[in-house]
Amino acid sequence: MTLPQLLPMAYQGGVEPMQVDAPPEDNDNSNEEEFYIVRNPTLDLETYANSYKSLARLHRLMFIATHCPSMRVEALKMAIQYVMGTYNVTLYQQLHKKLQETVGPSSAANLPDVAGGGAQSTSQDIPAFDIHWVESKSKKAALKLEKLDTDLKNYKSNSIKESIRRGHDDLGDHYLDCGDLSNALKCYSRARDYCTSGKHVVNMCLNVIKVSVYLKNWSHVLSFINKAEATPDFSEVHGKDSNQTIMTRLKCAAGLAHLATKMYKPAAKHFLQANLDHCDFPELLSPNNVAMYGGLCALATYDRNELQKNVIFSSSFKLFLELEPQLRDIIFKFYESKYASCLKLLDEIKENLLLDMYLAPHVNTLYSQIRNRALIQYFSPYLSADMRKMASALNTSVHALEDELMQLILDGQIQARIDSHNKILYAKDADQRSSTFERSIMMGQEYQRRTRMLILRSAMLKNHIHVKSTTGRETGQSGDAAQSESTTGQRAGRGDISHSGEQQ
Amino acid sequence: MIAEDLISTCAELERLELISPTGEATAQEYAQLLAIYLCQSDLCNAKFLWKRIPTSLKNSHDELSLIWKVGQCMWKRDYPAAYSALQVSWSDNVRHIMLALQDELRTRAVDLIANAYSSITVSDLSAMAGINDREAERLSNARGWIIDAETEMVHPVRPPPSSHVTTSSEGQLNKLTDYVSFLEN
Amino acid sequence: MVSGLEQFVNAVQTLSSQGNYTDLCDVLSKSTEVLSKNLQHLDNVLETLDTHQHSLGVLAVLFVKTSNLPGHPAQGSGAAESVAHSETKTHDVLIFNQFQNFVDKCDSTQIRQAPDTYSEVCHVVTKILIDQKRPHRGIDLLKRAIRKLQKHESQLTGVHADLMQLCLLAKNFKPALEFLDIDICSISDEGSQSEAKYFLLYFYYGAMIYTALKKFDRALYFLEVVITTPAMAVSHIMLEAYKKYILVCLILHGKVLNPPKYTSQVIERFIKPLSSAYHKLSLAYNSNSCEELQQCLTLYAETFNRDGNSGLAKQVLASLRKKNIQRLTKTFLTLSLSDVASRVQLPSPRDAEKAILNMIEDGEIFASINQKDGMVFFHDDPEKFNSPAALKRLEEEMERCTELDRKILEMDEKFLVNPAFIKKQQSGATEDDIALAPAMSGQGSSTFTM
Repeated sequence: MTLPQLLPMAYQGGVEPMQVDAPPEDNDNSNEEEFYIVRNPTLDLETYANSYKSLARLHRLMFIATHCPSMRVEALKMAIQYVMGTYNVTLYQQLHKKLQETVGPSSAANLPDVAGGGAQSTSQDIPAFDIHWVESKSKKAALKLEKLDTDLKNYKSNSIKESIRRGHDDLGDHYLDCGDLSNALKCYSRARDYCTSGKHVVNMCLNVIKVSVYLKNWSHVLSFINKAEATPDFSEVHGKDSNQTIMTRLKCAAGLAHLATKMYKPAAKHFLQANLDHCDFPELLSPNNVAMYGGLCALATYDRNELQKNVIFSSSFKLFLELEPQLRDIIFKFYESKYASCLKLLDEIKENLLLDMYLAPHVNTLYSQIRNRALIQYFSPYLSADMRKMASALNTSVHALEDELMQLILDGQIQARIDSHNKILYAKDADQRSSTFERSIMMGQEYQRRTRMLILRSAMLKNHIHVKSTTGRETGQSGDAAQSESTTGQRAGRGDISHSGEQQ
Repeated sequence: MIAEDLISTCAELERLELISPTGEATAQEYAQLLAIYLCQSDLCNAKFLWKRIPTSLKNSHDELSLIWKVGQCMWKRDYPAAYSALQVSWSDNVRHIMLALQDELRTRAVDLIANAYSSITVSDLSAMAGINDREAERLSNARGWIIDAETEMVHPVRPPPSSHVTTSSEGQLNKLTDYVSFLEN
Repeated sequence: MVSGLEQFVNAVQTLSSQGNYTDLCDVLSKSTEVLSKNLQHLDNVLETLDTHQHSLGVLAVLFVKTSNLPGHPAQGSGAAESVAHSETKTHDVLIFNQFQNFVDKCDSTQIRQAPDTYSEVCHVVTKILIDQKRPHRGIDLLKRAIRKLQKHESQLTGVHADLMQLCLLAKNFKPALEFLDIDICSISDEGSQSEAKYFLLYFYYGAMIYTALKKFDRALYFLEVVITTPAMAVSHIMLEAYKKYILVCLILHGKVLNPPKYTSQVIERFIKPLSSAYHKLSLAYNSNSCEELQQCLTLYAETFNRDGNSGLAKQVLASLRKKNIQRLTKTFLTLSLSDVASRVQLPSPRDAEKAILNMIEDGEIFASINQKDGMVFFHDDPEKFNSPAALKRLEEEMERCTELDRKILEMDEKFLVNPAFIKKQQSGATEDDIALAPAMSGQGSSTFTM
């Protein structure tokens, strides 16, 4: 924790070491995330951070700190400031350690580096590591834990179900506040046995979902969403408004879980069902996230009709799109077949998306799927298309376009052939008649093959032919014999089968 | 006609090899069989025949190796090399087969060119067909292929797909009846 | 001693003349000991018996003679080897001649009463020929031997595997094809312990012959038979067949097909883990990169070599090249030869031209090369299914399907009147061989789609 210890590591330039200290709950997925650097984001960090609460805000700030050197110090400062309002002492220490790694060398060694200018000015107002805060906060946390524990014990001895449930919930809240996710999850789950109404069950589910999202345990998230939705009288117990909020929250959590597990189409479907007026759960997502996640997934997986029906003409999602005007433009440009500007706009927002902890791992996949959709749609009305024009319409080179088209044709997504000589793409009508003939001949041959095999197999079973286990002298011998036989055969076969038998 | 002749000779030679008391044939028989396999483009069997011919016979009869030399070129689909390997004064034993093989190769090469090229240089054409440029021109003219003197390119014409199958309508009707009765049951 | 032999001869003569082969078989199975004790007199016994009239008796004598050959498996004593060697040789020649004589003259009806003994003698004769490095001498003999034993030409016998092995070793495949090309409908009931072994070997050797002749479709069928044979233990034949199955699948289909559902668990559980190099190869194949595949081939070269599969492995590489060119024909109308070369990783446009030319010759792609512009034009399959030739082909295919369907119906009927089947069906019990019957009738009526 002391400064000298950190120095050698910090010398590496502050690019790499951030990863080492990533909070443990991130490690589950860390191997699939590649390390990258975002240089020129256009993000207002303050506004961004204020749309989230609790660990959502902290995780997001830490993600930005990891991937964006220019915002690192500020992001860490904000995180530290926020974490001081919680009992999460461990995270406070981690954040400080990172902050020291970042600003440490430039202020300590006084190197006149480029980044120095920015760092220098901030280095004055770098919050100092407050050991007293750590101590008093730890003490307070322990005290509160003790109190909650005693309370819970009392409730239990009195066997008042409702109090026990609350006691568990309170304990869970406290653990969450301390950043102890696994204990929080345990407490929230324990409340399950003391639920007396549908409302309680749903509440328990929401708590578990919240923690599971932090833990990135997506299958858990999905199963508790199902559980919540399957709760009888789920819709009746709550007032209409709170019910809407819960619905939206569940839809968003489901969307997130599907996005994280690369199921983009179901993700789009769930996000699109969210309701802006009831979209208020900053510890999970911001409404802007819903717009962006849903919009991009829809673009990547919906065909033109679906896009029109579920996104463009959706009165509820329209409100979300207003929050992200750039995305709205992208979707409309795409729908209007203005692919070049659509793709250009997409490129413009890419940097910011790469700073979004949930979206970042999927940005490239989603982008290439959107590109493919654009290609397919571009070509759909044509019988033949000039690939040079096509390339310029899609912001790419003719050669790269050729490669992309080749893949799409092989995947069967475009029925066309490339005239590489004249750089023209020709639509190809499938010859239904011939392919039907071909298929039926193939089917017939497959039938013959399978039937022959079947006749042989029935003879085989009739004669009880099977490989026996090697017990006893007799079979053991035959096993050995089999080996020696097969090697003899091999010797015979080796020369035979070799392909290059022409010289000799 | 020659092909049918070869098929029966081939079967006879194969039989002779199997029933000979030693299980081996004479060098002359092997030479004929090898040449016939090549003529039938049955390179796999030719290869294994070559492998099973006793070494002593291969050493005492050079013609066997010479025949197989042609086979190797055919395996590599090196037409020019195959033609030059064929330029040997063959013994009476195999001469007629090797001549047939040469014709066979040339026919195959020219058919392939007709199928595979929309334009080919005169020199490539003559190399693949094993003829000189003058003969190549004559061949092109005979087949109605246009020669572009300026670029020295020949433009082969695809042969129309041949169809020789004829069935009587009565036979067709019979078959149709068969199908229907099969499907009904 | 001698009286025992006399009894034997008498029994053979009387029972044979009565045509009472069942009892004769009983007697014979009990005489093995007597015959074994009188090895030196057996040749005399053979002379007293008439090969045609007393085929079973002669067979029993030959069986005892072959299973007691000096210098053969059980007697392999090292001491008097050099002395025994020449003796063994003359003895082997004698046995060979006696057997040849027997095959030519014996009575099919009789020997079919003792197919296991007959096959066993064939196995020994085969082994002798292989030991003498004269496999070619046995091909014609075993062909005749099989014909004698078979009830019909689509019946598999234990001798089939021997013939295949001899053909492989003699590098003479045409005689083998006469048998391999006929689909097996029944198996001669030899009831011996190693029946499964010779069954597997027949199909394994057959597959090797077909791969050698590059008839991969048929080879794959044979390999599939091997790997789908019911198994409770790992058979080395099955393991080797599985490795070849992967290679041939890649060559033929460009991917490894899943073996049918009824494949034994042994494949998944034990054989797959033993063939990891082959699975790596198929993964490398899936990348469509010849470079990656080549790396994999180099990495596991020793394994492939040891398994005797390096030739096939090389053909896998060639097949990927072809597949990559075929992919081009699906996506391009025209392409320059140099682009072809760079896309399929060939060194020069000239190599690309050659590769395309070869594929056109083999009918694997449809294209025309334009040397003038250095371009190649890819065409669709010119088959439009509107010619008399296409009709003829369809008719032939349909005929084959119809024929097979008839066969299945026939088998179905046989099952339905099988007393054991009726009994089981009434008691509601199912067993694998019985369960097959309804499955088959289902197949017969529903899968026929042409």
